[in-house]
Amino acid sequence: MKLKRILRSITFRYIAAYVAVLSLSVFLLMMVLYAFSSYSYFQGLRDSILEELDTIELIYNGQGEAGVQQYIADQSSRQILMQFAYLLEDAQGNRVSGTLDEVQESKLFGEGWLSFELVQIYQGRELDLDFLARTRTLGGGQQILVARSLVEAVEGSKLVLSVLLHATIATLILGLVGGYISANISLQRVETLNDEIHRIVHGDLSQRLSVESHQGNLRDLVVNVNEMLDHTQSLMQGVRTVSDNIAHDLRTPLTRIRNALEQLREQCPDDNADAVQHLIGECDELLSTFNALLRISKLESGSTYAGEARVDLQALLQDAVELYEPLAQEKQQQMVLAGGQGFCRGDADLLFQLFANLVDNAIKYTPEGGQIRLQLSETSEGEQQVVVSDTGPGIPAADRQNVFRRFLRLESSRAQQPGNGLGLALVRAIVRYHRGVVELGDNDPGLRVRVSLPA
Amino acid sequence: MNILLIEDEASVAEYICHALEREGHACDHCLDGESGLERASHGAYDALVVDRMLPGLDGLSVVQSLRARGNQVPILFLSALGEVEDRVDGLRAGADDYLVKPFSLEELSARLQALCRRQASADSQETTLQLGDLHMDLLKQEVTRGAQTIHLQPREYKLLEFLLRNAGQVVTRKMLLEQVWGYHFDPQTNVIDVHISRLRQKLDRDFDRPMLNTVRGAGYRLEAG
Repeated sequence: MKLKRILRSITFRYIAAYVAVLSLSVFLLMMVLYAFSSYSYFQGLRDSILEELDTIELIYNGQGEAGVQQYIADQSSRQILMQFAYLLEDAQGNRVSGTLDEVQESKLFGEGWLSFELVQIYQGRELDLDFLARTRTLGGGQQILVARSLVEAVEGSKLVLSVLLHATIATLILGLVGGYISANISLQRVETLNDEIHRIVHGDLSQRLSVESHQGNLRDLVVNVNEMLDHTQSLMQGVRTVSDNIAHDLRTPLTRIRNALEQLREQCPDDNADAVQHLIGECDELLSTFNALLRISKLESGSTYAGEARVDLQALLQDAVELYEPLAQEKQQQMVLAGGQGFCRGDADLLFQLFANLVDNAIKYTPEGGQIRLQLSETSEGEQQVVVSDTGPGIPAADRQNVFRRFLRLESSRAQQPGNGLGLALVRAIVRYHRGVVELGDNDPGLRVRVSLPA
Repeated sequence: MNILLIEDEASVAEYICHALEREGHACDHCLDGESGLERASHGAYDALVVDRMLPGLDGLSVVQSLRARGNQVPILFLSALGEVEDRVDGLRAGADDYLVKPFSLEELSARLQALCRRQASADSQETTLQLGDLHMDLLKQEVTRGAQTIHLQPREYKLLEFLLRNAGQVVTRKMLLEQVWGYHFDPQTNVIDVHISRLRQKLDRDFDRPMLNTVRGAGYRLEAG
């Protein structure tokens, strides 16, 4: 998994591409070198054959055919690989003397150069040797052929070629290993950064990335991300302040309207009073929405519960169940409270509000005859945990984070249920105010809300 | 009732006083803490309504000073704040009740009535409560209407006791939640109505004249049948 991630990482891809281009260039360069060195070997061979022919011609001119024969015989005692091979023929083409018997098959390739293959015995082994040769006609019409084995040139080239290939492969391997290592390092840095950002975005937006633990341009990136977070936070704060101000400023006139309507109702004939009462109800709903909004903002303004009051969670949950039981009974729902005692530090009114909202939601969204269960327990870390589960439709996993947002109700439920869409936002605000955690899960079927509160 | 209102916003003060007077109370008002404290110390009032934020001496100090001098007049705190700690602070300072602005006048009026009632009943050691043919024995925790014994769950008993103590007065849903259930919170549903209708079943089912009546837009009132 990790290997796959590293191989897919952008650093590794860059390095791999770079290594590929580098290896290709190295390879091309080496090929040029190879061609060049082969050519110069070959050139040296030609030059030595021409020189040898010149020598023989000089000998012929001075000492005649016998001198040439003597020279060839002198040379023959030397090693085959290092020496020249000779073939002297008379004007009729008959072999006169030399170290070669006869040249049967030869290839002629330009400017009088020949090449042929000969089997030679060398150090007890049969060797197929390629020869390069040239013939020259001497003054008396005799033909002299001087040949030299290509083995030296071929061996030299082979050596060069193998060095070149090994160098290329080494470049590739070293490059890829280096790429893997540096990709791994940079991936780790990026992943740490990613985790941090994820935690901030999905958790506490007031947190920032630590600048000290990064260097170079990653540090610049961190600084920029932090600036972006500052900006986002201040924008969110701005939106919140505006909506708070609206809610706050509208509350007073709305209350006046409500109270004026109340007075009006007293003076109205009965059939109009109902209409006025309806308007009062609408005002009340608006007011309660504004109040809830302001409460959430106040709870989320940063401070957490600082009091010392101990809340008996079991008693509080019993009260909540008792208060809401008649509503559940109207829908033939079963509501049970399980678990033992539990205490936490906190504000009883707020905690009651929290569980009242959860129970109220459970009753609303669970169909008739369903089950609602509250379970109080203590976790191994000593936290108090309350699980409220129902057998309703639940919330799709993708929506679970969103439902805590203000005014958000899932499309499928929006039309059907009354309420201001602030219930769960308030739940989360209260839980966070008490430094707790609230999570939504699946009850298979239904919704399971888990609230953890520090003791 | 004779009520003193200490509220710095003149328009709000006038509005509240006007409404209280319409309900048959006498209402004086002061616009700052010092003069409020002065008036409250010397005048004979049945209840005080004190705004928390006041220029000069703030509401909290006014209440503390009054209580320090042994003045036991029922005090209702008004505040635009209204989050947890504010409420606790207000009650700790010696206020008897706390109402967050904005509030409906019915709520204010009902609470003032209840405060004065509470004050009166605290003075006398009652062992029974009586309204018409309804009788509650506080010692035996028994309820009878006429010759019939009415069996109540503990919470229903507390609910009826609170209604009886405020018999003839409007009692709001908020007051019931705070006084009977003991929590200051905002139920999303009218859950109180269901409890009331259950109590009404037991109380009024066998009788021609209902005692437990709904006051439209405000709350409930227990009246002699």
